[in-house]
Amino acid sequence: MGITVSGVKKTFGTFAALHGIDLEAKPGEFLALLGPSGSGKTTLLRIIAGLEFPDTGTIAFDDEDVTQRPVAERGVGFVFQQYALFRHMTIADNIAFGLTVRPRRQRPPKAEIARRVEELLDLVQLSGLGKRYPAQLSGGQRQRVALARALAVEPRFLLLDEPFGALDAKVRKDLRRWLRGLHDRLGLTSIFVTHDQEEALELADRVVVMDHGVIEQIAAPADVYERPASPFVFGFVGESNCLPVTVRAGRALYGAHDIGPADAPEGPANAWFRPHDVIAAEDGIPATPLLARPKNGATRVEAQIEGIEKPVEIDLPTPPAPGAPVRFRPTRIRLFPA
Amino acid sequence: MARRLLIAAALAFLGLFVLLPFIAVFVEAFRQGVPAFLDALAEPDAMAAMRLTLLVAAISVPANIVFGIVAAWCITKFEFRGKGLLITLIDLPFSVSPVVAGLIYVLLFGINGWFGPWLRANGVEIIFAVPGIVLATIFVTFPFVARELIPLMAEQGRDDEEAAVSLGASGLQTFWHVTLPNIRWGLLYGVLLCNARAMGEFGAVSVVSGHIRGLTNTMPLHVEILYTEYNFVGAFAVASLLAVLALVTLAVKTLLEWRYGDQIQGMGH
Repeated sequence: MGITVSGVKKTFGTFAALHGIDLEAKPGEFLALLGPSGSGKTTLLRIIAGLEFPDTGTIAFDDEDVTQRPVAERGVGFVFQQYALFRHMTIADNIAFGLTVRPRRQRPPKAEIARRVEELLDLVQLSGLGKRYPAQLSGGQRQRVALARALAVEPRFLLLDEPFGALDAKVRKDLRRWLRGLHDRLGLTSIFVTHDQEEALELADRVVVMDHGVIEQIAAPADVYERPASPFVFGFVGESNCLPVTVRAGRALYGAHDIGPADAPEGPANAWFRPHDVIAAEDGIPATPLLARPKNGATRVEAQIEGIEKPVEIDLPTPPAPGAPVRFRPTRIRLFPA
Repeated sequence: MARRLLIAAALAFLGLFVLLPFIAVFVEAFRQGVPAFLDALAEPDAMAAMRLTLLVAAISVPANIVFGIVAAWCITKFEFRGKGLLITLIDLPFSVSPVVAGLIYVLLFGINGWFGPWLRANGVEIIFAVPGIVLATIFVTFPFVARELIPLMAEQGRDDEEAAVSLGASGLQTFWHVTLPNIRWGLLYGVLLCNARAMGEFGAVSVVSGHIRGLTNTMPLHVEILYTEYNFVGAFAVASLLAVLALVTLAVKTLLEWRYGDQIQGMGH
């Protein structure tokens, strides 16, 4: 049930956009496809919608194979990144479009369409703006019109491409919360694409992290953040640091510093940790501070460890003394093979 | 000071090379009074030339509207091999001398041309007949609509069409309700330029027409014939109609640019 993607591959010319994607969106689920640009997330969404077709693999909606079906026959609502509102039509006509283009026999009567448009305008909190044109609305309002237009045809699934990509930070945040509320009310299985990890973690039931055309991890937001499946995920879903360590007798050692338990084979490994998972310690790893600024009630220090090229970012309770090295110890690390 | 000098130079140049000849056309046309002017226009060969010019425009402009939309559509909405070549080919008439364009058709369809004998055997007349004039006109005017629409449609992208299709619209509905309204002003602009050229084309048409009075003379060709016969009033009377066409084109073009400039691309050719 829901949306099932199996073994989907897609190549554009010589560029392999997707290498074998398997994915399932359960009924009623709100799924995020998260990844940097070029990760294939938008291509995957477009393939699910039927705007692109996979080279191999299948797409099934509620266990029914729709791989060969074009977008018009899939019954999905698609919201475009730039909204793609029809600029010469009023908001009401935009929303009604999917109903008015139906063949005469399936088309609801005019009054019914008008009533439905009013309902949808109400739903997206734009009552009374039906007679305006897209150019007369703000970005956030246009986004909601695009959503209403997609919902008008009563789609089985809702697909959103970077739904907040073109909005400023404040509107984004409000709209995000509103969209989550709307999803909970409608219960429509939805997939949205984003490159913003905060957005994915806040909105989605589950997050699909993608990179270079493969899925790195599918998990609930907390798991993606707390238990990343790969160094890529660790680095992408939050701020991160990496230290080369040696695993010996179940401990991770950075030089002579024991930085925590190691559930990994003996030998070299990489220890990843987040800036806030450190403490200042007299016998900790020494580093030379480069920059310090207040952050979330602590001090964010960017510091250079001797022999490691990339400076670490750590949160310490007090600003470092001028000229003196800081000493810290990670409190929570995650090991990946070196 | 330098600015004023430059402006004065530009104005003097325009006055000398554009405005003055333009006025001269009308002065000459009315030199022997309004009745002579009207007689010159009512003359049967002149009427025939006007009818032919209208007919040629009425065929070649719609043909190039269809071709231009189709070409711009496939170039901007699809990816395929040889796209660059197609774009270059569309530009060809702008870079080729119209005389050469006319000669191409003579080579292909003339009595001694590639298809000449076969056409003659089957009783089809192209060269020195209306079909040849239409073909030559279509050739020299086909970049106008396509050239206007390609950048416009490229900028608008595919999102609107994809949105329409995802809402269940058919290809035709998408074109009619979404694409066409998005490009209408740009299209009108291209049609206007296309029409002006179709009615005014001389070189290519001259090669294929054969200059048969009352049959294969378009207005520009008729003007030349009258002029070489020292019938100045007749020549300038017909020429004044072409000048009026140019004025109307310019007025509508300016209106379009002023009102819908943001929806018109590649202005200025």
